[in-house]
Amino acid sequence: MELSGLISNLALGFSVAVSLQNLIWCLAGALIGTAIGVLPGIGPVATMALLLPATYALPADGALIMLAGIYYGAQYGGSTTAILVNLPGESSSVVTCLDGYQMARQGRAGSALAIAALGSFFAGSVATVAIAVAAPPLTKLAQQFQPADYFSLMVLGLVASIVLAHGSVIKALGMIFLGMLLGLVGTDVNTGNARYTFEIGELFDGIGFVPLTMGLFGIAEIIANLTNAERRDLVSSKVSSLWPSRDELKRSVAPVLRGTVLGGLLGILPGGGAVLASFSSYTLEKKISKTPEKFGTGMVEGVAGPESANNAAAQTSFIPMLTLGIPSNAVMAMMIGGMMMHGIAPGPQVMQQRPELFWGMIASMWIGNLMLVVLNLPLIGIWVRLLLVPYRLLSIAILFFCCIGVYSLNNSANEVLFIAVFGLLGYVLMRLGCEPAPLIMGFLLGPMMETYMRRAMLLARGDANVFIERPLSLAFLVLTGLLLLFIVLPSVGRAREVAFKE
Amino acid sequence: MRIRCTQDLATGLLFISIGLAALWFGADLSLGTALRPGTGVLPRILAWCLIATGALLGVKSLMTDGPGLGDWAWRPLIMITLATIAFALTIDRFGLVVAMLSSMTLAALGTPETGWREYAIFAAFMLLLGVGMFVWGLGMPVTILPKAWPWS
Amino acid sequence: MHRRTFLKSVAASTVTTATITRASAQVASWPDKPVKLILPYAPGGSTDLIGRPWAEKLTQAFGQQFIVDNRGGASGMIGTEAVAKSAPDGYTFLVTPNNTLTILPSLRKVPYDPIKSFAPVARLGDLLCGFVIHPAVGPKTFAELIDYAKKNPGKLSYGSAGLGTATQLRLEMLKFKAGLDILHVPYKGSGEALNDLLPNTVQLMNEINCIPHVKAGKLIMLNINHAERHPEFPDLPTLTELGHPNADVPIWNSIHAPAGTPPEIIAKLNAKIVEIAKTDEMKARMRSIHAATPLQTPAEVAAYQVADMQRNADLIKSANIKLE
Repeated sequence: MELSGLISNLALGFSVAVSLQNLIWCLAGALIGTAIGVLPGIGPVATMALLLPATYALPADGALIMLAGIYYGAQYGGSTTAILVNLPGESSSVVTCLDGYQMARQGRAGSALAIAALGSFFAGSVATVAIAVAAPPLTKLAQQFQPADYFSLMVLGLVASIVLAHGSVIKALGMIFLGMLLGLVGTDVNTGNARYTFEIGELFDGIGFVPLTMGLFGIAEIIANLTNAERRDLVSSKVSSLWPSRDELKRSVAPVLRGTVLGGLLGILPGGGAVLASFSSYTLEKKISKTPEKFGTGMVEGVAGPESANNAAAQTSFIPMLTLGIPSNAVMAMMIGGMMMHGIAPGPQVMQQRPELFWGMIASMWIGNLMLVVLNLPLIGIWVRLLLVPYRLLSIAILFFCCIGVYSLNNSANEVLFIAVFGLLGYVLMRLGCEPAPLIMGFLLGPMMETYMRRAMLLARGDANVFIERPLSLAFLVLTGLLLLFIVLPSVGRAREVAFKE
Repeated sequence: MRIRCTQDLATGLLFISIGLAALWFGADLSLGTALRPGTGVLPRILAWCLIATGALLGVKSLMTDGPGLGDWAWRPLIMITLATIAFALTIDRFGLVVAMLSSMTLAALGTPETGWREYAIFAAFMLLLGVGMFVWGLGMPVTILPKAWPWS
Repeated sequence: MHRRTFLKSVAASTVTTATITRASAQVASWPDKPVKLILPYAPGGSTDLIGRPWAEKLTQAFGQQFIVDNRGGASGMIGTEAVAKSAPDGYTFLVTPNNTLTILPSLRKVPYDPIKSFAPVARLGDLLCGFVIHPAVGPKTFAELIDYAKKNPGKLSYGSAGLGTATQLRLEMLKFKAGLDILHVPYKGSGEALNDLLPNTVQLMNEINCIPHVKAGKLIMLNINHAERHPEFPDLPTLTELGHPNADVPIWNSIHAPAGTPPEIIAKLNAKIVEIAKTDEMKARMRSIHAATPLQTPAEVAAYQVADMQRNADLIKSANIKLE
């Protein structure tokens, strides 16, 4: 699209987005989104569902702007809890827990939060420009992906999950397998058979992501902190500066850039790319770093990259929805629901028939990101002060929010019981030196990988060569092989050293 | 042969037992054909992978030194678990207030440092916050007080 | 002795009269507190699109809150079971597509009786659709499709919203009635299926979310699934016209009360729903989501449900559809 056309479209968009009404809706959405992002459990989907009837009274663009604000506000908020108390609100914040929480425990929570906010803002801005300039070609790119390609991408992702652990590689592998097994619990989409559900209704759709992560990350951490006074005091006593040091800022620039590109590209894949965004950025940073063994102890690159990646992916995941009417995830499905409630059928003609809506949304995405960074930076002071609450009380509050958060998802008390089970499991694993992050990745990617493999085989009428014949799929599988070599070779080298020493 | 790393051994045993359980409970899942894999294929593969990993860890525990099992935090472990269970069991039948009180109190008992006066103030604050945010603020369809009470 | 019996019968009749009076007072004042509409699917789905406008209209009409409660899970069984087990006092209703009541029970064991556990109240909206094909495949009309499929058995594939959904049954019905061999590819929801239809990874679908793309010219719709032609697509023939009567597998949404709810409450709600459905505003709203609300009495809905269930059961049996 030529420059003049782009500028006039953006001008149209900004004129819509900057109207006082829409600014207010944008702010409301961002505020609500941040609030629920901070609260574990209640996610953007549930909130949007609660507010959807209310938005009917608003004009279409205001309603969509507010709903969108809730979504990326929740991304900002989710990072906050991940850093402060090791609770990932969304799948995208799991990776932020790894180094972000460690930074908080070293008293650098303010720095982590600031880097997360700034990186997210940069990524959001770039992604917004990308949507404005290249939405149709990006969509076409995404359409090149067939099930076989998705499968190979997931395999790459699974192998890359090993990199998430900074401890034993064997244990990380075991965690991935365990995570995949847990992911298989529930009804198999392809055949309708129930696996490992033991006739428990709530397990029918699988183990919920939220109870799992609440238990493994949050509850286990509470249990560990409550006994070990030394471990806990690190969290609540040290609060040094609220702002990143110059060194930290310098080290964050490259990861932010890389994360934005990586996340932006992965986000356009409707089949689940956004999940991969944050942790593929983490893997990349860890592999490129000169000190990979320090990842997991509070490396700022481990926060800057993933946070930018997941925000970029969150924005670009709007693309399939805006251009084709296809929801990449449950949140987009809600947006589509919101559109249809206003009589707008999402699809290819929205861009032509309602340009003020399309461009207005894009412009307000950028404004929303701006509002969020302006909102969140001062809030850092408050959040960090929250950490000074004595842990014996803070832990009670965290526990309550976990329980009510999970309960609110489906009004199901049984799911709260799951948190107890996973909390127990999480603590046991912690004591055994196993890390939960690879498990979560296995949990998320395993079922997807299986679905895509089955679907690829079905479409290829049983010809397994499809995975090697399609160029994209072949490329991913080759990358997987290379990555495996990179992971295994150093361990082999070390083992040989040890053998030589003995 | 000495156990050089109890942690690795314990982990290995855990993996093996979970893998075996997965095999046991998934025994009647169909395997399908080679071209159209059934529901039982991936669970079985994963179970074996887990068992293999556990076995590897077991072997490693005999060969390389490593940490032991350490001290476990029994009191918080039990109390926090009970607190979560209490919340789950009481919220539907008795309402949010009872659920919050029971779980918060149990959690508070999880650490010896709890001061009861401080806790009382905190609990009152949390109750207000909880009911205020979730029922009045977000309009969650959850009962506040037990149904048996005359004014609910 | 006589006096005691006399006193007993007086007491009994007083109590009975009091109960009847209280019951009819209950009905007359219904609803006097918020009413829960349980939707057995996660928020954002097509049932929400039908259920939420209705909830809003009913709230306006009765002056009491009609709240939508999404209880998703287990293909809709969890929410449906919840209503089956709730008190028949007129304050809990089920808003569901026909899937949970007329298709699922024929495929698996469900924790409720689709006929006996519920008392149908009214129809809320039928979703419009027809078979949709990717333009690159070749056939542009229904007849051409049948022709192509017969000449190329197993070459075409069809994306459905999942195993055991109405969209799969639509394909099975077509295959059965026209004797075709088309590969069924199940997806998790219609969004995913559409995503593979657009690049021609699968060739066919029959879902409401294809309609915007049909209107944009990216996909071709071949027929209308219903008994009459639709005003938005006046040129498209119905299945009946194409020589396949009774071949449609409709997706229809309805509202049900737990069995045992006082019939007066059901009648009152039905009357209001029919009244709202006739208004221009509601018609426009339904049209914007490609739905239409048939006007029926509770008895008619019950009969329609039984007929639908029977037809689906027959199809499932003769086409040997299993959840594997």
